[in-house]
Parts: sequence; C-alpha cells; structure tokens
Amino acid sequence: MAISAQAAGAAQGMTVVARTQTQLVRRRFFRHRAALIGMLVFGGIVVLAFSSIGFGPLPGWWDKSYLATGAVVDQGRPTLSLVPQFLGGEGLRWGEHPFGQDNIGIDYFALTMRGTQQSIIVAFIVGFVATTVGTLAGAFAGYFRKKVEAILMRLTDVMITIPVLIIAAIVGRSFGDSGIVVLAICIGLVTWPTLGRLIRGEFLSLREKEFVEAARALGTSSSRIIFRHILPNTVGVIIVSATLAIANAVLLESALSFLGVGVQPPDVSLGQLIDTYRSAMTTRPWLFWWPGVFIIAIALSINFIGDGLRDAFDPRQTRVRA
Amino acid sequence: MIAFIARRLIVSFFVLLAATMVIYALTALAGDPLEDLRELPGPDRDRKIADRIERMNLDVPLPLRYLSWLGNLFRGDLGVNRDGQDVSVLLGNALSATLQLVVAATVLAVVIGVIVGIVSALRQYSTFDYSVTFTAFVCFSLPLFWVAVMLKQYIAIEFNDWLRDPVIPPTVIAVASLVGGLIWAAVLVGGRRARLAAFALGAAATAVTLTLLSATRWFADPGIGVVGLAVLAGGTAVGVTALISGLRHRDPLYAALSAAGIGVILSQVLDPVLADPSWLEIFGLALLTVAVCAGLGYALGGLLRRQAILAAVLTGLVTAGLTFLDRMLRGFADYSDYVRGRPIATIGSSTPNFKGDFWQTNLDVAGHLLLPTMALILISLATYTRYSRSSMLEVMNLDYVRTARAKGLPERTVVTKHAFRNGMIPITTLMAFDFAGVIGGAIVTENVFGWQGMGSLFLRGLQQVDPAPVMAFFIVSGSAIVLFNMLADIIYAYLDPRIRLS
Amino acid sequence: MTNHPSETGEILRVEDLVVEFPTEDGLVQAVRGVSYSLHEREVLGIVGESGSGKSVSSLAVMGLLPRGARVRGRILYRGDDVLKLPARRRRGLRGRKIAMIFQDPMTALNPVHTVGDQLAEAVLAHDLVPRKQALARAREMLDLVGIPQAEQRLRSYPHEFSGGMRQRAMIAMAVINNPDVIIADEPTTALDVTVQAQILEKLLEVKDAVNAAIVLITHDLGVVAGIAHRVLVMYAGKPVEIGVTDTIFYRPRMPYTAGLLGSMPSLETSGGRLRPISGAPPSLINLPSGCPFSPRCPLAEDRCRAEEPALGEVDEGGHYAACHHWDQLAAVADPTALFRTESEPVT
Ligand SMILES: Nc1ncnc2c1ncn2[C@@H]1O[C@H](COP(=O)(O)OP(=O)(O)OP(=O)(O)O)[C@@H](O)[C@H]1O
Ligand code: SF4
Ligand SMILES: [Mg+2]
Repeated sequence: MAISAQAAGAAQGMTVVARTQTQLVRRRFFRHRAALIGMLVFGGIVVLAFSSIGFGPLPGWWDKSYLATGAVVDQGRPTLSLVPQFLGGEGLRWGEHPFGQDNIGIDYFALTMRGTQQSIIVAFIVGFVATTVGTLAGAFAGYFRKKVEAILMRLTDVMITIPVLIIAAIVGRSFGDSGIVVLAICIGLVTWPTLGRLIRGEFLSLREKEFVEAARALGTSSSRIIFRHILPNTVGVIIVSATLAIANAVLLESALSFLGVGVQPPDVSLGQLIDTYRSAMTTRPWLFWWPGVFIIAIALSINFIGDGLRDAFDPRQTRVRA
Repeated sequence: MIAFIARRLIVSFFVLLAATMVIYALTALAGDPLEDLRELPGPDRDRKIADRIERMNLDVPLPLRYLSWLGNLFRGDLGVNRDGQDVSVLLGNALSATLQLVVAATVLAVVIGVIVGIVSALRQYSTFDYSVTFTAFVCFSLPLFWVAVMLKQYIAIEFNDWLRDPVIPPTVIAVASLVGGLIWAAVLVGGRRARLAAFALGAAATAVTLTLLSATRWFADPGIGVVGLAVLAGGTAVGVTALISGLRHRDPLYAALSAAGIGVILSQVLDPVLADPSWLEIFGLALLTVAVCAGLGYALGGLLRRQAILAAVLTGLVTAGLTFLDRMLRGFADYSDYVRGRPIATIGSSTPNFKGDFWQTNLDVAGHLLLPTMALILISLATYTRYSRSSMLEVMNLDYVRTARAKGLPERTVVTKHAFRNGMIPITTLMAFDFAGVIGGAIVTENVFGWQGMGSLFLRGLQQVDPAPVMAFFIVSGSAIVLFNMLADIIYAYLDPRIRLS
Repeated sequence: MTNHPSETGEILRVEDLVVEFPTEDGLVQAVRGVSYSLHEREVLGIVGESGSGKSVSSLAVMGLLPRGARVRGRILYRGDDVLKLPARRRRGLRGRKIAMIFQDPMTALNPVHTVGDQLAEAVLAHDLVPRKQALARAREMLDLVGIPQAEQRLRSYPHEFSGGMRQRAMIAMAVINNPDVIIADEPTTALDVTVQAQILEKLLEVKDAVNAAIVLITHDLGVVAGIAHRVLVMYAGKPVEIGVTDTIFYRPRMPYTAGLLGSMPSLETSGGRLRPISGAPPSLINLPSGCPFSPRCPLAEDRCRAEEPALGEVDEGGHYAACHHWDQLAAVADPTALFRTESEPVT
C-alpha cells in the first residue's frame, strides 16, 4: 500500500546523485580547510625538494650539492633567519647555508632536500604496492569467500602477530643496500594485510547488495563483477586508506632508517639523517631538527589530506541524523 | 566460554608456528652471518669462521636448521647466539623491563585515550573537540624516535636541572593558568557566561595550586600527605558517584564517601605493614579493599545498591592507589640524593646496582619508565582517542540510544549504560592491533633510551643475521600479542552478548 | 470505532511547530508550522509521504531531536509549554507521561542489555523502587502485550526476539509507566505483513488498558482507516488537511489527500488499480513559492504556484484543508478520479 511514487522519486534521486558524485566529493574536499592546507604544504615540500637540488639528470636552482664537502663556516650554524629586523631578529635571510652544515661541511639544506626526495619516493612506492596488493587480495577474498578468503584471513592472522616494524626491519635488513626502490617494494609487500582486511570487509558488504545480485543473475562473470561493479564502489575506501598508508610509510621508513635497517648510505633519507647525526644532538642540534621537521610536515599534511578525502567520500560522520 | 578460549588458543598456536617459520627464514636470509669474520686479518680467521658455522649450524640447510631450532624450543631451549651466549639468559634480563614498558604504555593509552575520546565525542564541535582532533593528528604524524630524543634532551635534562631549585616562575604559572582555564572552558558546553565562569575557576584553581606547590618547594620533596589524601579521596568519591548514579539520591554517595574515609584512616593505621611490603602483600591489600568497599556499598546502598557497590569499590581503589603513590613519593628525597639530583633517568631501565626498599625500587623503575612511556604512548593515545571518539559519535546516533532517552533516562545513564558499552566494542578489536604496534614502538624507544631490553636483543640479532635472539624476541612478543588478542576477544564477548551466545 | 472523545479533556496541544536543521547545504525546513490537539484516549492519525516531517514533529514533542535542530512554536502538555520547562522536568515527562514507539524494532533495543533490564530501567528512571518490583512490573507488561513465558523472556537479549516480539516489547516499554500519550511512529512499517495487524491490535488493546491517547504515524491511510478518530495529513512539513477520519476518507478537500486515497487498493473506490501520484515531494531546502504540491497537482494553476494556501475551515466539525480549490473537489463525486490518466476509463 506504500505510495509507489516514493520509489520513483528515490530512483530519480539515485541517478542525480550518481551523476554528481565526483563533483560532490570534490566540493566536500575543498571545503575541508585542513586538507587544503595539507595539500598546499605537501605540494610545496615536493616542489622545493625536487626543484632545489634537481633530480636525476634535471638540474636544480640550489648551487650546492649534497655530496660536496667544504669548509665549515661558523661551526656549521644555519644561516636561515625568519625573524624580521624590527622584531629584534636578523631579518628575513636565506644565507649561504640556510640549514647549516654538517661536521664535514656538507650543505645541510641540500642534504635535507635529498633525504626528503628519497623519503617521499619510498613512501609513495610502499603506499602504492601495499594498496595494490591489499586491494586485489581483499577483493578476491571478499568476493569469492570460501578458500580464497580462508587463505587470506589466515595469512593476515599470521601477519598480525608480527608487528609491522619487526617484519619491515627484517626485510629492510635484507634489502636496505639494494637501493631505495627495491627496499620500498619489499616493505610494501609485507605491509598490505591490514589494508587487505579493510577492503575485504567492504567487499563483503557490497557483494550482498542488489546490484551485484542483479549482475550475477544476468550471468556476468566474476572478474567483471569484481572490477566493473564492486571495485568502483570501494574507490573511496581505497583512496583514503592509500593516503593514510603513505603517511604511515613515511614514518615507518624513517624509523627503519633510524634503527639502521632501512635506507643505507650512500643513499640518504630523513630518518637516516637523524640516525647519522644523533650523537651531534648536543653540539649541532639543527642536524637533528631539520629532517625531523620535514618528516612531521610530510606526515601531517598527508594525514590531513587523508582526513579531507575521508570526509569527502563518506560524509556520514559529519552529518546529524534524526 | 572455555571452549571458545581453547579453540582460540589452538588456532593461535598454529598461527604463531607459521609466523616463526616466516621470521626464521627471513632473518636467516637477511644477510651474511659471517660478514664480520671474513674481513678479519690473521690466522684465526678460518678457525673463527668454522667455530661460528658450527655454533649456528650453518652447514645444515635452512629448513633443517629451522626444525632443529623448533625442536629445541619445544624442549624449552632457546639456543645460543652466535657468540655462544645462552639466549634464555639474555632474554631473562631483557624481558621484565620491556614488558613493564609495553604494559604501562598500553594501559595508559587505553584509559586516557578512551576518556578523552568520549569527552570529545560528547562535546562534538566544541573547541575541546577540535583541539583534541588536531592534537591527535599531530601525534599520528610524529616520528617516535624523534619525540623520544626530544624528550630526553629537553624534558629530562631541563627538568632535572630545574628540580635543584623547584620554584615555578610567575610567567609559567600565568601561562599554565591560562591554558588550564581554556581547557575547562572548552570542555564545558553552555552559554558564554558559563564558559567564562569555567575559565575563571579553572585558571584560578591552576594558579593557586601551582603557586602553593612552588612556594612550599613541593617538587623538592613531593608527597600527598594525610590532608591531601583526604581531599583527593573525598573528591574522587563525589566525582565517581556523580558519574555512576548522580548526586540526587544520597545512598551511593554515602557509601563512596565512607569508602574514602575508611581508606584514608587505614592508610595511616597500616603504616607498619606498608613499611617495606612485597607485591603479594600489596595485591592482598587491594583484594581486601575491594571486599570491604563492596560490603560498604551493599550495606549503605539502599535501593541503589548496585550503583553504590560500584561507586564504593572504585573510590576505594583510587584511594588505595593514591596511598601507594604517596608512599612511593615519601622516598623521593633520599632517592633523589642517591642519583645525584637527577631522578628522571635518560639511560637504561633501572639504576645499576641500586639497592633500596620496595618503595625506592619502584620509584627508580618509575623514573626510568617515565620518558620512554611518554614517547611510546603518543601514537596509541591518538589512535584510541580517534577511534573511541568516532565510535561514540556513531553509537550516540543509534536508535537504541534514542530509545533510552525516550524512556526519560538522565543523559548520564544514557551515556554510561547505553552508549559507552556499545561504543567500546570496536575498541577491543583495535586493542589487539595496537598492541603489536606498541611492541614495534618499544624497539625504537629502547634504542633511543639505551635500554638493554628485548628491542636491543632483536636489533643486534638482526644486524648480525643471528636467528636465535631474533626468534626469542618473537616468541615472547608473538605470544604476548596472541594473549592480548585473546584478552580483547574475551572482553568483546563480555561486552556483546550476541557473540557470547553464538 | 469508539465514540469520539473530543468532548473529554485536551492533553496535548501543538501550536505552530517549526523545526529547522542547519546543514552544510542550507537550512532544511523539516516542519513548517504544524498545529494539532490531542484529547484523552483519542487516536490521532498523522499521514504523509516519506520525508513530510512526521517523525521530526513527534521527536520535537518528545524533545529528542538531534543537537543543532531549531524548534519554534508551542507544545502544551496539560497546559504547560514543554519547550519552556527546565530540562529535568522535561525528562520527567518523557517515558512517564508521553511515551514513544519507534519504527524499527530491530534497532530500537540495546543489544547488550537484557529485555527485562531495559524495561525495568524505564520504571527506575522515574520512580525509586526496588529493582525486584520494577522487574515484576516488566513481567506484567510482557504478559499484557502477549509475550509468552514472560518470566524467562525478561532474561533474554533482544537478538533472541523476533521482530514482532521486539515491537511488542517496545509497546510494553512505552506503557510501563501508564503514560497519557503514546506516540507510535510507524510501528508496523518494518514488520512482516502477517504480524502488522496483530501489533496494531495489541497497541489498541494496551492503550485501552492504560487509558492513553495515541498519535499514530503512518504513510499508509489504510492503517488509520479503522482506528483513528481524526486524521492529519502532512505534506512537505505542513499539515494540509485535518478532520474526522470518515470526513477525510469520504470528503477529502485537498488534492493530495485525494491522491493518497486513490493510491490505496480496494477502498470502496472503483478500478482496483493502484494510481500513484506521479512526481516526488519537493526539496525541503529551497522550497518553491506557492503551494508545495502544485508541481504534482492536477488542479494547479497560476495562483497555486504564486501563493501558498493556508489551512482553512472547509466544513464544520473541524475539517480544515489547505487548498485554493477545495471547492472543486467538493463539486465532484469521486475526487480520487482526479489522478486518473485520460486513457483510463472513468467510472
Ligand atoms: N537531523 C537532520 N538534519 C537534516 N535534515 C533532517 C534531519 N532529520 C530529518 N531531516 C529531514 O527532515 C525531513 C522530514 O523527516 P521525517 O523523518 O520527519 O520524515 P517522515 O515524514 O517521518 O518520513 P518517513 O515516512 O520516511 O519516516 C526529511 O526531509 C529529512 O531529510
Ligand atoms: S492549492 Fe492548487 S496546487 Fe495546491 S493542492 Fe490546491 S489546487 Fe493543488
Ligand atoms: Mg519517520
């Protein structure tokens, strides 16, 4: 006896929603102020790191190299000053060695930029590998259930008893000196299970939905259902967790490098810089400060971007219900 | 329930077994265990290499090596490291320090995180909520090792220096009062007037407390004292009752207040017993406290007996805890002299060769635990805060919470009885995950603070491609994680009858 | 149908109730001026499509709206404006004088507490009595709503109950304190068709047992047909027609009501085919000017699109409708025929 216009209205509503989904997400994201600031900060760091000292064959605008040693000026103190003169500071000044020099006279700005580049690359590769593997595994397990699921669940059970840092440290010990790309791929290959579980949960709930039933009733193949029908509906979850995985990877890489089982010299990364100079903490604290500040800025801005994306894709949390 | 636990144990056993296989193989293949010897000059070289090959069974193929390790493990033998030291001995020394660190961090993170998260959820969109959310994000993004180094460098060293003449400068008092007032104003919801009042009260209270502490040079010889104990216990009684049953009906309040009173009196009467107790005695006293307070609640609770018992027991336990703290602090001055005025330790997990009574030993341990725990706790704290906040927000919007309100229950009951328990269900699942993270973090923390704990056992073993110590580390941490997982499952089953019965 | 109780005292009176939700997308005007009164032992039906503001207006009466909702108007319980009462007194009314039954019994009970505990709690919220006594009262109520083996059932958890039993438990919870008013928000919508009738019957039986009045919310005119004394029809947050049930059914004076009647199967109208009203209700954020029903109304003309009709008396006996052209409906024999398409035969 229900008013069936209701259904018609709902159906109309659905198509409208579907058409503007992307716009809606974009609009919600751009309303998230912290996420926008995060975007700006992270974008700024990337541009700074890659344009200053250049990357690969590309030259940068900074005239010093992260490899060249030199005379240590003023005990290697940073020449950067941000406090204007009328506030009693030394004025806004960039100077010869804005971030100072290390004990053998390497320009610390160049070194920090190099570390930032490497840390960002590692984090993105780890995030990409973990997300891809996690999504595929979670998707198959969530859709096929039974065997595949059992295997995946047992596998994640096993991985969950091993703290991420432990397994990553062991992998890092093996592949630390094979270059950052190999290292990052290997870390990605051991950190996907949490993500896999998440995606599986999402698939489990979606595979019960009517549109999947309908597709199955029409005889659509499983792979088509997974990739055409379900996967697009989990994009939100995947993008958000990928973002957060990258933020975590920044921290994980720096922790591994700090412990000496991550990026190995002559490669540099932010964590490895802190490890190298930790004994200089009392005499040259800036050697410790700068990489730390960059790690925090990167992780914080990516975390905020992730939060903005989550709000944009899943606004449930921010809306009040009757 | 027992069947449930047994099944979980069996599954966990096999899961752990599989994990040992993975870790053993990966560790053994992580590098060349003879690397350092190969570069040795001189005639010893070949003999040393042969020795090590012998000790580490390197001439046996990896799968067999694993099996023989496993066989030994079942006989209770953890093997020797590459230098021939018995791993069980190494482990024994490392174990307790690390466990203390990990357990302290987890418990504190859960308790504080859940409380802050709930308050934040109940005050959604308030200044407090925004500040908590922002702080949580910052904590998520802090590299643990960096924080640890900072704490060590700035907090510990500066604080110890300051303790020599513990006078709080007026500017610090002013700023702290301002912050204190802001926090109170932010937690409270209400009109502008109420907020202003909260701000003024909070700021004034902070200012008075700090001035008093500074003027009496409290930090030089801290303690709570009978008066302090009485005030704090009474306050706890009122607060706990307000939360559990409200203050409109007096019976539970009387029960809680008498629990506090008896606690304070006993803390003085029992002085000789508490002179140099053992942990067993402390535990016995705790049980006694629970029994006595439950009796008080039962006798005085009237129609609100259930609530009265809970309020009395909680008050009694808090009072007992305060007594413990007071006792510990009494030894502070002596201890501080012993460590030459540097009670906040930055290296190691206890002062070498320190001999003191029960209280001083605990003080020593606490002094060493303080900074590593603070560092280690940050990420977990942020996680628990975020999760309990969003879990509470979600639950508070559910239909049955609306039903509870529709019955005319006071908001306090709606939150504590209906929302809280349901909101904690997802937190138990999180606990299991987070615990593994804390163990990982402990490795980093120990490294920074120079503890000879399990973390260094693991790291050194890994660097030297020496599976025995690495595996010892994993057997302990893996079992702890499994046990913790199970604890989480049991709490889950307790909280959610749907699981319990199926 | 029992005698119309309008002669008896008035217990609840809602005047010009307005509820708005500020949201990111704008102000949602969920309820835009609802007025009604409820007499002792009366059954008032509130009918309307999904989203017409039925639940929101009753939550406003209960004081259960989510934070951030803006409420204006007056809600008088026995002459006291509950919106002006201090929070504690308002809570004292909730569950004791005015009780509510919700739409979805599957989610309305707390899964982690026993049914007995949740029932007893409703007693203990208002009266400090021994727990035993509260549980005994709970058992009595379970008996009353027809749950067998009430004693054991007190110790069951909600997930051990079927949907129908849970709704019975909700009814028991609503009447456990002998309230004056029960607001039942679509109490049968979420249930199996087979148990719907039983639950309604039980609700009426229990109402008589405790002498309460009922506000029965539904989007199904059929439900109120044999039960309600009066019916209030809501559209887009406003009452568009109110009157004694028979008048509403046989002499609707508002095209929307007529449309609802036409979409019901097998009331003595002809055809037997469902004739849904085409189109969807308007968005409550940017309401167009004029009559909110005009985009879907077969009688709509320029005036309707320019000017929103007020609720006016169309008949004696308290029959009010909000339509510029109510007299056109009065002129035809079968107003529901308005919604028939031309190709269909008109009887
Ligand atoms: N918390 C809220 N925030 C914003 N809009 C809300 C909120 N609660 C309800 N609404 C809106 O108010 C309108 C009326 O909702 P209400 O729940 O009263 O409808 P209803 O008539 O009960 O419908 P149904 O038959 O579906 O229960 C709806 O459009 C809804 O979207
Ligand atoms: S006012 Fe006009 S549009 Fe509105 S219901 Fe009446 S006839 Fe239809
Ligand atoms: Mg509704």
